[in-house]
Amino acid sequence: MRNLLALISLLCATAAATAQQKDTKLFPYNYSIDDLDNGLRLVTVPTDFPNMVALYIVVQAGSRNEVEPGKSGYAHLFEHIMFRGSENYTPAQRDLIMKKAGAESNASTNADRTTYYATFSKEDLDPVLKLEADRFQKLKYPEPAYKTESLAVLGEYNKNSADPTEKLDEVLHETAFKKHTYTHTTMGFLKDIQDMPNQYNYSLEFYNRFYRPEYTTIVVVGDVNRDQTLSLTRKYFGEWKRGTYMPNIPEEPAQTEARTASVNWNSPTLPWIAIAFKGPAYSDEEKDKAALDLLSPIAFGSNSDLYQKLVLKEQKVDELEPDFGNHPDPELFSIYARVKDPKDLDYVRDQILSTFKRFSDEPIDQAKLDATRSRIRYSFALRMNSSPAVAAALAPYIGLRRTPETINKLFALYQQITPEDIRTTANRYFTVNNRTIVTLASNKGAKNQ
Amino acid sequence: MRRTLTALALLLTTTLAGAQTKISSVLLPGSSPLVTFRILFTTGSAYDPQGKEGLAALTASMLAEGGTRSMSYDQIVQALYPMASSINSETDKEMTVFSGTTHVENLDKYYGLLKDMLLDPGFRTEDFNRLRDDATNFLKVSLRESNDEELGKEHLYNTIYSGHPYGHHNVGKLSSLEKLTIDDVRAFYRAHYTTANLVIGVAGGYPKEFSSKVEADFGKLPEGQPDKKRFDSPKLPAGTQVQIIARDTRSTAISLGFPIEVNRSHKDWAALALVASYFGQHRSSNSYLYQRLREARGLNYGDYAYIEYFPRGMFLMTPEPNLGRQQQIFQMWIRPVEADNGVFALRAALYEFDKLVRDGISQEAFDTTREFLGKYANVLTQTQSARLGYALDNRYYNIPEYTSFIKTQLSRLTVGDVNAAIRRHFKSDRMRIVVVTKNGEAFRDAIVKNIPSPISYNSPKPKEIMDEDKTIQAYSVNLKPENVAVVPVEQVFQ
Repeated sequence: MRNLLALISLLCATAAATAQQKDTKLFPYNYSIDDLDNGLRLVTVPTDFPNMVALYIVVQAGSRNEVEPGKSGYAHLFEHIMFRGSENYTPAQRDLIMKKAGAESNASTNADRTTYYATFSKEDLDPVLKLEADRFQKLKYPEPAYKTESLAVLGEYNKNSADPTEKLDEVLHETAFKKHTYTHTTMGFLKDIQDMPNQYNYSLEFYNRFYRPEYTTIVVVGDVNRDQTLSLTRKYFGEWKRGTYMPNIPEEPAQTEARTASVNWNSPTLPWIAIAFKGPAYSDEEKDKAALDLLSPIAFGSNSDLYQKLVLKEQKVDELEPDFGNHPDPELFSIYARVKDPKDLDYVRDQILSTFKRFSDEPIDQAKLDATRSRIRYSFALRMNSSPAVAAALAPYIGLRRTPETINKLFALYQQITPEDIRTTANRYFTVNNRTIVTLASNKGAKNQ
Repeated sequence: MRRTLTALALLLTTTLAGAQTKISSVLLPGSSPLVTFRILFTTGSAYDPQGKEGLAALTASMLAEGGTRSMSYDQIVQALYPMASSINSETDKEMTVFSGTTHVENLDKYYGLLKDMLLDPGFRTEDFNRLRDDATNFLKVSLRESNDEELGKEHLYNTIYSGHPYGHHNVGKLSSLEKLTIDDVRAFYRAHYTTANLVIGVAGGYPKEFSSKVEADFGKLPEGQPDKKRFDSPKLPAGTQVQIIARDTRSTAISLGFPIEVNRSHKDWAALALVASYFGQHRSSNSYLYQRLREARGLNYGDYAYIEYFPRGMFLMTPEPNLGRQQQIFQMWIRPVEADNGVFALRAALYEFDKLVRDGISQEAFDTTREFLGKYANVLTQTQSARLGYALDNRYYNIPEYTSFIKTQLSRLTVGDVNAAIRRHFKSDRMRIVVVTKNGEAFRDAIVKNIPSPISYNSPKPKEIMDEDKTIQAYSVNLKPENVAVVPVEQVFQ
């Protein structure tokens, strides 16, 4: 086995996702960071996956940046508008260039960032970067095209609307957050989406605020080198002007009471329950987030005692999922469960609550902690199986800290966490007054709320 | 018969050929620290016995998500946890694949679990009850009540293949699932999990002697008879038929299509792949339908076209491999539109389809789509798991390595060939349409009586669009009343 590993390491050189050593960096690639004078950052990650390039452009603006009332959903709307033409390229010209490049290209928005991505052959890097530079600096969309695109956003809401978990998530956030913009989902409230066609001028304002070099990081992963990416980035993005806007995102006051909400769903579904506590913001230095990251799969993942009991043995639940993302501001540590029989809903709630209590009282087993650290290492290594997969793994961290190094810092922090750290952190966050519970159940005949 | 696809694999396997001649494998050794498995059985839901629909998929779930004789499923989950790996199953009509990837450092442990799960299953009652519940709830709740798009697409297949071995969802029928027993699962496993149906797929940085060990282990399965049924094109009565699934939903989802006699082994496959890409490349703005319905009119989130089965398209950017089928359909997927625009959207889809068949595609569209597809093949096959999956599919369809195959095929095509292929295969008078909407009777009335369905916009549109809308809003769907049925959602997948 040792010889085999040596052989493989030799063959793989820089690309090997070497997870075998505890002190190995979690992000195994060499990379370079270049900052332009205007605040734009370029991260270049050469890999040995041949021929292909993944270009990910990360803008640190998501639904969190939507501070005005009645204006939820604009970060996501903007992701759509960015495909509606720029000064030097009509949408048709843009499509033709991407088509000739054989590109797979799209974009996504979440609470904290908007990411534009494309995967294509390396010989097309120049025309694709030139095209991207135009829309990031010189977006130009007429009002009728804006209005039509706002309908495509409504179409996106429509396609999601049959899924009860979309509604569950919407009500959970609305209930848990009273001041902070995390109160609305990235999709936004339906009434705001329906008002979008009337808000052309606000959309221009949104672009002027956030589509600026200081909010943006260009990530190029694949069959590339730094000299090439840097000279092209300077050439096409060098003249981009810095902005001045700083969003005033309201701080969420400390929660002082347990909150609950229920949703009546007007078609047959199995009942859902979401139990959430406000958790800490992302940090690669403070232990709180890292401690609860490690607890999440141990307490609620597929190998947890709770999962084994509710899903495998008693079979009262068919889906049990923890959700605890990385965010720049404190967000939710949530558990979602789908219950097979409505009469078991209270039982399942109590089982989940007693699990939170248990891990606030008892330190976790050291062996499970070690297994979880191993799992994190290997899951990262297994994910990075192509250049776009490497870029996709990087993008959320770029959105948070604009450097791949934060991944290695976070992983180093995980190594320091002890069972007692996890217990004390759980004890501080999983309190009754910090809790929100939302249930969703079928009540045929009732209107969706 | 042994079939290998790389020069290196050939070197490795010829030395073993004497001992293990009956095992088929596709080996892609490489330098990656990851080792990918795709253990394929050429059997699937088309082999479900009548009245036991769902048995093939439930059997696969019992292997991938159930215990072995020596380990319970919760022990397997515990063992896989530190490796961050899993073993997944996918059952389609003629293929069942077990896939997973592990880091080479964990290869022995991972393979030990995979081997026992596939070769020494425990078939425990508690696993059976859980997995049958999962299958039932998937059809009854997740698909029927939470996802109008997948509901419409899957029901379209069931409608086209009604009375055919492809005519039920891979997961089964609700009425059959409730009757299945663990003995049915054992019997299906014995009959179909045989070396005659097996193709071992392994890729990545595994040790030199590893693949022969896998072949020796899996060679212990019974030899059996290969599942080699020939599936004919479904016999559909002429005329357009519509099924309207009525359920309480805010928007209207539409899927339509008809069978084609073209799969990857057919000489016209590349021509039709080019047409589907031009007309409706999956999840891309670079396609005709998307441009006309979404970009020009804002009708919905997207509009696409396919010549191969592509489940879970709403969650995936590229298709998953190992869904090989003798029979395929041409399909258009119109994503949910506002309920008021449902009839207009259906008419627009039919209008554009008829125009495609009438006018074909232009030289310019042909040139750019050909360039796109040639390069896009690299995107489709860029992960080790995808390359292995495609290699297994190449074997099934008896075609060479996929990227070179598609590039060669495309390079030989002319626009004339493509337009001739459209005329040959798309001149269907057997269109089947599935609509998921709230007010089924009103929708039925509108299309049966050919009531005009004008559309209004929130912004000025070019004259060309307004003129075309006048044609579309009165476009005849050409239906006999008896060919339009309103189906309560409770009957779907029943």
